[in-house]
Amino acid sequence: MQCGWPLLGPLQWMRYVNKQVKVKAGKDEERRGWLLTVDPVSASLVLVNFGEEEGRASVQVVMGHAVEEVEVLQEADEETTERLRTSFLPPETRTLDP
Amino acid sequence: VSRRSSAAPPSDRPGERRGAEMKKLYGKDAAKMLAMEAAMQLNFDRNCDLKQPKYWPVIPLKL
Amino acid sequence: SIPSSSDAEQLPGEQHARSVLRESFLRCLLAMANKKIQFQMYERVKVEATFRASDIDVLNFQVSDLHTPIGVQKEALIRCQDVISFTFDA
Repeated sequence: MQCGWPLLGPLQWMRYVNKQVKVKAGKDEERRGWLLTVDPVSASLVLVNFGEEEGRASVQVVMGHAVEEVEVLQEADEETTERLRTSFLPPETRTLDP
Repeated sequence: VSRRSSAAPPSDRPGERRGAEMKKLYGKDAAKMLAMEAAMQLNFDRNCDLKQPKYWPVIPLKL
Repeated sequence: SIPSSSDAEQLPGEQHARSVLRESFLRCLLAMANKKIQFQMYERVKVEATFRASDIDVLNFQVSDLHTPIGVQKEALIRCQDVISFTFDA
């Protein structure tokens, strides 16, 4: 996806959820991570990277206005999807299944 | 291209228009989202009242 | 700003997708409260602060103990427009 990320809309953003993505933002800096969600108000992406230790994760939020390009690298397997779902959000979080 | 739905009432009553807008955006989840957002905004406003934070940097980096 | 797709057909599917995404994002903001956050901003500015709250339009972040290049600002507001990205450990 080249440009116009903030204009894609919820149904398009949803297709990136639970995928590992590469995001270009700002001065060509590149970030990678598993996409947890996209804020429909600001188009900001929440990326999660899991550490070696169980239960550790680092979270990176890329502001929607700074996004230049989003590229899908791979889909999450079941284990990764589950880790994403339970990683750091309170347990009552709903599943992202449609 | 942005256009207001003709279904949205005129904006003389902001609270209601906000409700109508939420309904349009979130459908049957509008009430829940409105409640979550209201709680978060209240928390933000209360913090700002209490702590009087100043903008940093004073001049925006990105104009 | 609200994306223009909001005035496309009022599909329940789109509304549902929007509320799932939004709820997850709001929970993420809640999970950030009182955590140390590293902000990457424009003009190569990098600062660290303790996150407190965001307004719901995602225009401002309210933070404490902001480590600026010229010292610590006890309480501060950061304009989201100045921010490219930010990171924290969950």
